[in-house]
Amino acid sequence: MNLQMVDPRIKILLLLTISSAALIFPHPFSLAALLVLALFILMAGGLKPVQVWVKARGLCGLILMLFLIQCLFNRAGEPLLWLFNMPIVTDFGLNTALLVSLRLLIIVLSAMIVLFGESRDYLLALTQCKVPYEIAFMVLAALRFLPILREEAQDVICAAQLRGLRIKKTGLFHKLKVYISLMLPVVAGAIHRAEQLSFAMEARAFRANSHRSSMRRLRLRVVDVFYALVILMAVIAIAFIPLLTIN
Amino acid sequence: MITVEQITYLYPHSDTPIFQDFSAHFKRGEIVAVSGKNGSGKTTLSKLLAGILQPQKGSVCIDGLSTKSQDLFEIGQKVGYLFQNPNRQLFCETVFREITFGLNNQGLKKQQATEKADYYLNYFNLASYRDDYPGHLSHGEKQRLALAAVLALGTDYVVLDEPTIGLDMLRRRELGELLLKLCKESNCGIVLICQEAEFMARYAERELVIPV
Repeated sequence: MNLQMVDPRIKILLLLTISSAALIFPHPFSLAALLVLALFILMAGGLKPVQVWVKARGLCGLILMLFLIQCLFNRAGEPLLWLFNMPIVTDFGLNTALLVSLRLLIIVLSAMIVLFGESRDYLLALTQCKVPYEIAFMVLAALRFLPILREEAQDVICAAQLRGLRIKKTGLFHKLKVYISLMLPVVAGAIHRAEQLSFAMEARAFRANSHRSSMRRLRLRVVDVFYALVILMAVIAIAFIPLLTIN
Repeated sequence: MITVEQITYLYPHSDTPIFQDFSAHFKRGEIVAVSGKNGSGKTTLSKLLAGILQPQKGSVCIDGLSTKSQDLFEIGQKVGYLFQNPNRQLFCETVFREITFGLNNQGLKKQQATEKADYYLNYFNLASYRDDYPGHLSHGEKQRLALAAVLALGTDYVVLDEPTIGLDMLRRRELGELLLKLCKESNCGIVLICQEAEFMARYAERELVIPV
């Protein structure tokens, strides 16, 4: 089903369900199935595989790093791989690495579900779910700021490099130190901008009336409920996959 | 010379390229003003010249070397770049360190770097803020500091994206005179992204109008 057409409340529900299930499910098979389900929802919803890859590729490095850290530094369990009589990888370490990597990937993919649709629809969805308007607005305003902050951070890093800073050729510790010092003005700028935004909003009478009405109301359709039920049932079914593999 | 050859540039979120088969050149020892309507791609062109963005087709070469084959710190030794928003290029703890940051990276000795930084602090009337945090300056002061930090590097080319924003009449004239001095004495090539017809007419030798 095209995710543009799905009620935003259902999309938020799917996001919460899938990401919570990713944290709760203890077995790699369940998580692999959940990953397939999340991918299926996105593809059926109108996202092309290339688009999924473009959006998620930035995380590949982080996932790989987490996988290696869990794999190499988790000493519990039976050794699987040896190097000069020293256990390098254990079954428990490999299992944990798989769980952590899959969980992160599923959470990121499930977050892509809410990329479909207009932000004002999500504002309506949250207020109709009895979330106070101020909080709903704040959440969406913060989300809108993220790409700007990213662009700002990139510009600061470029400015430092153009003034002779060699980021690529420095060690990991020094790189981390440089990034932290470069991010300080970005964070300070974000706080300053948030303050300015609050002034601008109050100057335009934000919260002048205690009750805020909206001309448009979201209406849940039967097809939306059916779609949500199918996905929820699929998630529940996935929870039982480890039992099938044991038998 | 900076040569832009048959470039095509498309932003990831856009369907239509902002530049298609666009060519231009910028020589040392001349001030070129780049103008055009809002959204025509002036800032994009300036970022392409500084190697911050890379064209999908065509090439941008600085003295014969493509920006694709160089790291930003290598480009920074030849091209100084002033961002439109000074907040995006001020990241040091003090005004003084903001200027010496680039000079130290160039390998200048401490005394030389201090002398040069003090010269530019005086020139841009920022000496009284020497040990202040750059974030506490006004917009005009930040703009002057960002300019000072870029010009102090003494690069062969300088790309300035809207340098006159936030400057009063007197400081605009001083900036114009400094650019002329840099151009004549150091044979520096200056690319000036600007909206002000009067400033451009007074200080630029050539105007490049970007078509929409």
